[in-house]
Amino acid sequence: MPQVQVLADDRKDAPGVSPGDTLISVRGVTAGYDNVRAATRLIALRDIDLEIRKGEFLAIVGPSGCGKTTLINMIAGFVRPISGTIEVRGKEVTSPGADRAMVFQDYALLPWRTVEANVHFALENRSVQVTKEEASARIAEVLDLVGLGGFAKSYPHQLSGGMQQRVGIARALVTRPEILLMDEPFGAVDAMTREAMQAELEKIIAASGQTVVFITHSIDEAVALGDRVVVVSSRPGRIKEIIDVDLPRSRFDDEVKRDPRFAEYTQHIWNLLRDEALGAKDER
Amino acid sequence: MTDVSPATRDAATEAEEANAPQVESIRRSAWTRLRVPVITVINLAAFFTIWEVFASTSLVNPLFFPKASAMFSALFTGFADGSLLPQLGHSLGNLLIGLVISAAIGIPVGLFMGANKAADLILSPYVWSLTALPRVAFIPLLILILGFGNEMQLTIIVLSATFPIIVNCMAGVKTVDPSLLRAGQVFGTSRLQAYTKIIFPYTLPFIVSGLNQGIARGLVGMLIGELLGGSGEGLGYVLDRAADRFDSATLFAVLLLLAVMSVGLVQFTRWAERRVAPWRERNAS
Repeated sequence: MPQVQVLADDRKDAPGVSPGDTLISVRGVTAGYDNVRAATRLIALRDIDLEIRKGEFLAIVGPSGCGKTTLINMIAGFVRPISGTIEVRGKEVTSPGADRAMVFQDYALLPWRTVEANVHFALENRSVQVTKEEASARIAEVLDLVGLGGFAKSYPHQLSGGMQQRVGIARALVTRPEILLMDEPFGAVDAMTREAMQAELEKIIAASGQTVVFITHSIDEAVALGDRVVVVSSRPGRIKEIIDVDLPRSRFDDEVKRDPRFAEYTQHIWNLLRDEALGAKDER
Repeated sequence: MTDVSPATRDAATEAEEANAPQVESIRRSAWTRLRVPVITVINLAAFFTIWEVFASTSLVNPLFFPKASAMFSALFTGFADGSLLPQLGHSLGNLLIGLVISAAIGIPVGLFMGANKAADLILSPYVWSLTALPRVAFIPLLILILGFGNEMQLTIIVLSATFPIIVNCMAGVKTVDPSLLRAGQVFGTSRLQAYTKIIFPYTLPFIVSGLNQGIARGLVGMLIGELLGGSGEGLGYVLDRAADRFDSATLFAVLLLLAVMSVGLVQFTRWAERRVAPWRERNAS
């Protein structure tokens, strides 16, 4: 895949952090939301410490409402922590930046734009300086990468949910970000498409080499994709355990899924979360 | 990716499905196609016939209620002798200029108020009270300030049409999907770009329906201005003069003209509403 190689080589990573070194550090972060009317503050996350290494695929798994989305929003720069700091390459995160691209659960595509124009959206700002030719070359490249080569002129409402999310991924990759933030990207697609998309994502990331922070509430998905899995408990969100997933890639060969260790990992995480999951059920 | 992994096969299947939807053509009879226009023509013909017969009886005073034929002939002579066309032109011209001014004020103000909490908080009391206040109440003041003339007529149209546009734009902005705005932030759009690239296009259907209401309100404003403004121009003035002369045929002719005009404008914006956001219909189905 020569095109993909270009994508990886061309990525404008700032020098100084080599694969395996800490790229994102979350230190003593507490976060929450103020309810001004009731004069209360809901603490979503408490005392989170987390080091995310360059080039790793970090999956964060936890029940609904455990604050994992808040965590990724803080790394993205939408939300500021109440206390503690988040740093990328030693620089504190205060706002969204070109080094971090995000893939949203609900795709967040502009419905009046074609697939092509939606991907182009990521290139339409001050910080990205590309010529017209380079932009269209890059767009064609990422659309091929996500398997949407033939759909450049389609509109989002003409595509299935899985295909819309491919557009979301293409849009995030076209800026060649160092970090890819994915907030339950496959949460809204059907189970069969989901598995296919996971396999494809693994392949894309293997080729492009991004550092990925991937939020999910599916234990299977976390184990299947993550180099490490961060297990987060809820109310308030705390890190219960960080697990190194020692399974070979590609994980989507049928062999790996039948590997007894795969089941051990998922069982272990399930044990960590079981009480909360059952508790959460009662609350609903 | 040339290798056939489950993922690419999935993409291929999806592609196939999207390219070849299972649509078969069915036979449409001539009646299915022509049903609506045929029924409308018969319906209207029957309406005017009954009117004609009813007005020919001695049940109604022809001073107030003309025959349908008299109305049509008044309409015809009005256009033939050139007395009606300049008045229609004056009214329509005023309405269009007024709507353009209203849109130029209402759309940016509405978008800004919708997206900016402080602006909303500060401007809301004025916007809502001016939206609710009946337009006629302004007439004495406007006559005092602007006198009897075109400025007054135009001002009342602008006052009538601007506020529904503001209110609709405001409501529209509040429906903008927050994750689109977040996507904008992630990909580095500036504040101005957020307006032009996300908020404005997303709000477009609301803007059009604001214009729709603006047209309806603007028409009212136009007539009020012409009826009470006494400038001697416009369809409102023709109505007023016809009533003074007990010329019920002309009176009804102008009413018919106004009805056609309003329906035409409203139908146009409804068409525009469907055109500007084809994705919304798809989502709704």
